[in-house]
Amino acid sequence: MMLKLGVFELTDCGGCALNLLFLYERLFDLLEFYEIKEFHMASSFKEHDTLDVALVTGTVSTQRDLNLLHYARNHSKYLIALGTCATHGDVQASVEGKIREKLEKVYGTKANPMRALDSTPIVQHVAVDYALPGCPYDKDEIYQILMNLAKGVEPPTKDYPVCIECKLNEYECVLIKRGIPCLGPITLGGCNAVCIKSKVGCIGCRGPLPKEANPASEFEILKELGYDEEYIRRKFKTFARGELRW
Amino acid sequence: MVSIEIDAFTRVEGNGGAEVIIENGEVKDVKVKIFEGPRFFELLTLGRYYWDVPDLEARICAICYLSHSVASVLGIERAFGVKVSKEIELLRELGLLGELLESNALHLYLLVAPDLFGYPDAIRMASKHGEIVKEGLAIKAFGNYIREIIGGREIHGINIKPGGFGRYPTVEELERMERQSEALLRLARRGVGIFAGQETLGAKPVHYVVVNGYLYGDKLIASDKDTFDYFERIEEEALSYSFAKQSRYKGEIFMVGALPRVLLKSEMLTPTAKHLYEEYKEKLAQGYVSLNNLAQAIELVYALERTKEITRELLDKGINGENVPIEPQEGEGIGYVEAPRGVLIHHYKINEDGNIAYSNIITPTAFNHAIMELSLYEEAKRRYGTSDESAFLQKLEETVRAFDPCISCSVHVVRL
Ligand code: SF4
Ligand code: SF4
Repeated sequence: MMLKLGVFELTDCGGCALNLLFLYERLFDLLEFYEIKEFHMASSFKEHDTLDVALVTGTVSTQRDLNLLHYARNHSKYLIALGTCATHGDVQASVEGKIREKLEKVYGTKANPMRALDSTPIVQHVAVDYALPGCPYDKDEIYQILMNLAKGVEPPTKDYPVCIECKLNEYECVLIKRGIPCLGPITLGGCNAVCIKSKVGCIGCRGPLPKEANPASEFEILKELGYDEEYIRRKFKTFARGELRW
Repeated sequence: MVSIEIDAFTRVEGNGGAEVIIENGEVKDVKVKIFEGPRFFELLTLGRYYWDVPDLEARICAICYLSHSVASVLGIERAFGVKVSKEIELLRELGLLGELLESNALHLYLLVAPDLFGYPDAIRMASKHGEIVKEGLAIKAFGNYIREIIGGREIHGINIKPGGFGRYPTVEELERMERQSEALLRLARRGVGIFAGQETLGAKPVHYVVVNGYLYGDKLIASDKDTFDYFERIEEEALSYSFAKQSRYKGEIFMVGALPRVLLKSEMLTPTAKHLYEEYKEKLAQGYVSLNNLAQAIELVYALERTKEITRELLDKGINGENVPIEPQEGEGIGYVEAPRGVLIHHYKINEDGNIAYSNIITPTAFNHAIMELSLYEEAKRRYGTSDESAFLQKLEETVRAFDPCISCSVHVVRL
């Protein structure tokens, strides 16, 4: 039996929805198991139905987003928070200040006719069955998750830092060897350390490593390398708001 | 008074809709509503160290992240008075070509083609016209390959840095690009024929505005031959029904994007692209905004030919791989890029510690917001009462889609 799939995009850059199209032929493999009922970036087809799986990307940044999120939750058996916007808030949730002040700075008025909200991750509003971070997430991961679900298997979760993948690829450590501020030690792996391949530091786009991370020691390392506290604080905050405590 | 709502445009990037207002049986007005929430990118970058800024700005949009990275880097380098080597310039151009291939192919083959063949999406269209969808995907995948090599990742790579790159491409990678651009050219030429058949929709803009180079530069030029900086001629206005502002050039509605580019910069096109341009010149000159799609198809040919030229030049000279060292100093700079959808501007003031003190970003869809609304109005006027409501709405959606609007991008316009 075909499973019914919906893709819902709240406020975001479009990357996590687009990344599904970047699966290319593998998208067609998935379509052997899934029937797309809603995916507004890719299709004008839309059917109100109960879904087996809902993929939700983006942050809740307007009342409309919130309504859409509740719709998706109430109409799906299995809901996946897809991408760092959905799981941790990503860059837009790290913008400081209250919504009215921000609107005033940008639009010159405190009026809020379109009902904008301070951006928050979806996990803060509804229960999710699976959270897959990444800005954007890794394509193989979503492919595996959807295949697992189609076969009735609960997808596994990752729990190791970016550093592990960096070591496996034998990249030179940019933090220790070159003094570049790299968040690899406290960031959830799964991207194959792609930024360190480019010899630039990890900026933490997959969000903090759950449980074992030691942000306090990362904080100290960066301070010793000469970075000031405000700089480090903002770097830690970029993708995960206030989740990293140090 | 009644109004017809399009509650969500589909097959476009981001969330937006429109309201068609009918009075006494006639179309009175159309409002394009952008309801994607604001993401406050300029506020996000304020006070941040210049080095980290291009990676954050990339997150404005996934379809054209690399254009944002490059525009950001150009703005920063100009603020510091940094001049990079020819090699770095060519590699940036190569990245932008990859993005043009990825974005134009996505738009044409996955989003527009289903309209031409009468399907709700490319997936359903693939059962009958699999070849066309596959050809489009092949071009798109190649564009993404270039983005991955130059930008560091298909989406949101962080390899493009002020002063150069984190990692430079290898000889093998450049050779692969050269080979593939040659191989795909035939498919792209075929695409021009397919998209030339689209019916004309929407309005005719009074002015076109483009960047002075084909893909990036240091000034804007307009169809009336004026050369200028954006703040000298372009005015923005906030609206009550939309998170995106609207802009005017010398007080009038204008358009940015592929159509303006091929019309105003046809001299810069590569041989085959120029030949195709000549072939369709009269049609393009009609100026209807939907001709943007034909222009995008010609640009696929341009991008493949230009990729071949650049990779050959780089292979002949050999990659040096040297970044230009940067000393932060107080300054102001603007980066002008032709994102696939048109003029993209990143404007910064940076203080002596290298932190961003002012930032203004204007994206193509914000520039096109007014002409998009006018196009819907004219198309609605032309069609209202001649067909049933669903066919009417379908044509309005097609009109919006022709712009290839990128709504996520459009909501960050700010003047602080
Ligand atoms: S997580 Fe990143 S890639 Fe995904 S939608 Fe958010 S900003 Fe875009
Ligand atoms: S290395 Fe870090 S910043 Fe780069 S993709 Fe991985 S998690 Fe994201």
